[in-house]
Amino acid sequence: MATATATGTAPVEEVRKRPYVVVFVILAVVTFIELNVYSLGLPRLETITILVVLAAIKASLVVAYYMHLRYEPRWIALIPLGGLALVAVLVAALTSSSAHP
Amino acid sequence: MAHPEPTGEEEEHHGSPWPVIIAIGMGVGYVGIVSVSIPMLLVGLAIFGGGLGGWIHQDLQRPSSAFYGAISAIESKFPRVSARKLGMWLFLATEIMLFSAVIGTSWTLRLRTTTPGAAFEGAWAQPGEILNVPLTGINTFILICSSLTMVEALGAIERGNQKRLRLFLAATLLLGITFLSIQAFEYQHLYFGEHLTFKSAPFNVNPLYGPTFYAQTGVHGSHVTAGVIGMAYVTRKAFKGGFTKENHEAVELVGLYWHFVDVVWIFLFTIVYLI
Repeated sequence: MATATATGTAPVEEVRKRPYVVVFVILAVVTFIELNVYSLGLPRLETITILVVLAAIKASLVVAYYMHLRYEPRWIALIPLGGLALVAVLVAALTSSSAHP
Repeated sequence: MAHPEPTGEEEEHHGSPWPVIIAIGMGVGYVGIVSVSIPMLLVGLAIFGGGLGGWIHQDLQRPSSAFYGAISAIESKFPRVSARKLGMWLFLATEIMLFSAVIGTSWTLRLRTTTPGAAFEGAWAQPGEILNVPLTGINTFILICSSLTMVEALGAIERGNQKRLRLFLAATLLLGITFLSIQAFEYQHLYFGEHLTFKSAPFNVNPLYGPTFYAQTGVHGSHVTAGVIGMAYVTRKAFKGGFTKENHEAVELVGLYWHFVDVVWIFLFTIVYLI
């Protein structure tokens, strides 16, 4: 857990240790994999599953490291998670209405 | 945590009238949208633009403020996170809901229209059938690069390095403009070249494919545009020496918004272009 101040300032040594470039390389590699998933010739459902998982991995990395959620107090994560909970309700409602038009 | 006592100058900064003018502009513009009145929408946009410009101009006249008196009560309950950062996270939570509504609606239309007997019949386009996936892959890479330069800019000012702050902010701004330029080129090619319009689509593709594509990528593009405006503001302020190692929260907040836009694009790229 970081020792950030009210202005969001983190200690210099901690800032230097943050793996920004490593995360960037992973994001670039995963994007390249995404663009080539169809060349694997997998069934459509498996392909979609892989693509969604890869997107979730990329998004998690950006939120955790670039948006600093990993270095913030843990309760901050409740805010986007609250939004995602409502998204889950929306998806459930839309899926339900799509199944019974 | 002890906070600096607010001075008269900071109180003046806190009492800026420009946010109110911006809100009025948004309200007038919204009425214009609801009543389908283009003149009223334009008036609203003009007031909004004037208010935004006035606010930025006012803010650029002074260095980044260290005034936190108004949020001390909140900070006592939520230690180590400023009210402004908390406000940005709450705003981003509402943005999650906005984008999920847009994407969810488009996905539902896709599911419904590809079932037999639907009002708008026709298959959905296969990945790469109409859209240029390699070009958008490059654009996705550009946005990822901009996230790296943005977070490096924040890291630079957290170490007090003004030169790297300016360099990385300018790079982020340039990358953001490049992303928008490629998207504008893509729209122009799709609309006039491929004839993917709001009412029709080529290759007997479902006519709802076009509207859902433009709605999803357009809402995102408008957010990138807002991010570019915010980026231009912090870049200009950085070149005027407006941020210090201690006071640079605007860089962090604009960065949070920018990274969020990147996160949304990660999902949109998969849903719209790859699936």
